[in-house]
Amino acid sequence: MLKRLFLAIALIVPGTAMAANNVSLSSDVFIERKVAKPNGTTALVLEQPKTVIPGDNLVFVVKYKNVGRAPASDFSVTNPLPKAVAFNGTSDGTEIVSVDGGKTWGPLSALTYARENGETRPALMTDVTHVKWKFDRALSVGSEGKLIFRGTVK
Amino acid sequence: MLAVSAATLFFTPASVHAAGTVAGTDIVNVAQATFDGPSGGPPVTIDSNIVTIKVDELLDVTVVSSDPGDVATSPGLTAQATTYQVTNTGNGSEAFTLSADTAKPGDEFDTTFEQIILDTNGNGVYDPGVDTIYSPGTNDPVLAPDESITVFILSTIPAAATDADRAEIELSAVANTGSGTPGDIFAGQGDGGGDAVVGSTGASDEDSGFFLIQSAEVTLVKSATVLDPFGGTEPVPGAVIRYQLVATTTGTGSLTNLAITDDIPADTTYKAGSITLEGAALTDAPADADAGGFDGSAIAVSLGTVPGGQTRTITFQVTID
Repeated sequence: MLKRLFLAIALIVPGTAMAANNVSLSSDVFIERKVAKPNGTTALVLEQPKTVIPGDNLVFVVKYKNVGRAPASDFSVTNPLPKAVAFNGTSDGTEIVSVDGGKTWGPLSALTYARENGETRPALMTDVTHVKWKFDRALSVGSEGKLIFRGTVK
Repeated sequence: MLAVSAATLFFTPASVHAAGTVAGTDIVNVAQATFDGPSGGPPVTIDSNIVTIKVDELLDVTVVSSDPGDVATSPGLTAQATTYQVTNTGNGSEAFTLSADTAKPGDEFDTTFEQIILDTNGNGVYDPGVDTIYSPGTNDPVLAPDESITVFILSTIPAAATDADRAEIELSAVANTGSGTPGDIFAGQGDGGGDAVVGSTGASDEDSGFFLIQSAEVTLVKSATVLDPFGGTEPVPGAVIRYQLVATTTGTGSLTNLAITDDIPADTTYKAGSITLEGAALTDAPADADAGGFDGSAIAVSLGTVPGGQTRTITFQVTID
């Protein structure tokens, strides 16, 4: 267990105090590709791409696990959207988002987007700059899960 | 309210840059987790692993005829231009090969292809000697994502073309990296180091402009009425001959600088101040602002530009010597 912890530290957060690091976090990005099957139907498969083209649909999977010896309280996971990706929703709808680079947060429907001329309009999915999940209870030792959101390559 | 928000959602993709993310861009994704530090310490933030994906080049092009309508022309003219807009709708810098087809089936005549011209000075108008002659493989236009270039095809209009005939002139553009079925991949050949992938246009497009022959012709009908000094119609010395010239134009075009002249017949004398156009008197001075003139041996009337389908009636009078 200790060995694994060290490994995680070395790979992920060099410089973070060792004692505090009791959660592991991993990110995977998949692409949805339509594959023609021999029987004539098309199947949607997820692949881990090295390259994509504009318009490709991506699925972001963030896995977390409390690998420490104490519960992690006030736990939250944030994923800033890469500039070239337009947000396309989450699978569970429990996220909050930001459309201003992480300054203000809320459900998308509660946010407004400020145009360059100062006018505001209701925020749209494509305005989203950050996605965040806030857990209302502490992450107990050994518990894990994954968070999924979709995006489209701009 | 629901309808409004749905409409907004449909609009959204249009606001995305047409060509998309530039080829070669890295999409870098990192997630972060934050939680309370041990024993009430400051919050701890950790990063996930980094996932990097490169954006490939999408090969796409559009060709659009940019003439406002059919280009009016006349038989026998050379260097007649049809105009097109070639746009790189892909996401990488790409060169395109251009070709012209002046022999499309289904139109009424074919022109003779002269040259493809690149609008070097970008003013949208063919400028002889200024804009560059295109030579395939030598100066294929290289366009940045979303960049357009204006292209002209120059044609010679055959002398045998007749009024109101149309000719279709097609310009094609094909991405030099490759074209084909959307999804075809040219491995490692993408701008920015990734693959090049054929986009929805097949990386090849074409569009047509049209020439329309607008010509006009004029026919002249001359008639004479005689009035003798005795109230009869005998052509005796002293009798006055009133000539009437009716010019009739036909066709879909116009005749420019149409002028009618008529010699005064031998053994007659022009009756001063007798020229009329459409019933209105004209002066005899050839150089004044008025359309009529008599130079001592012939009358002349300048009609200017006359569209097809009109008539002009001129009269003048002479006295038999």
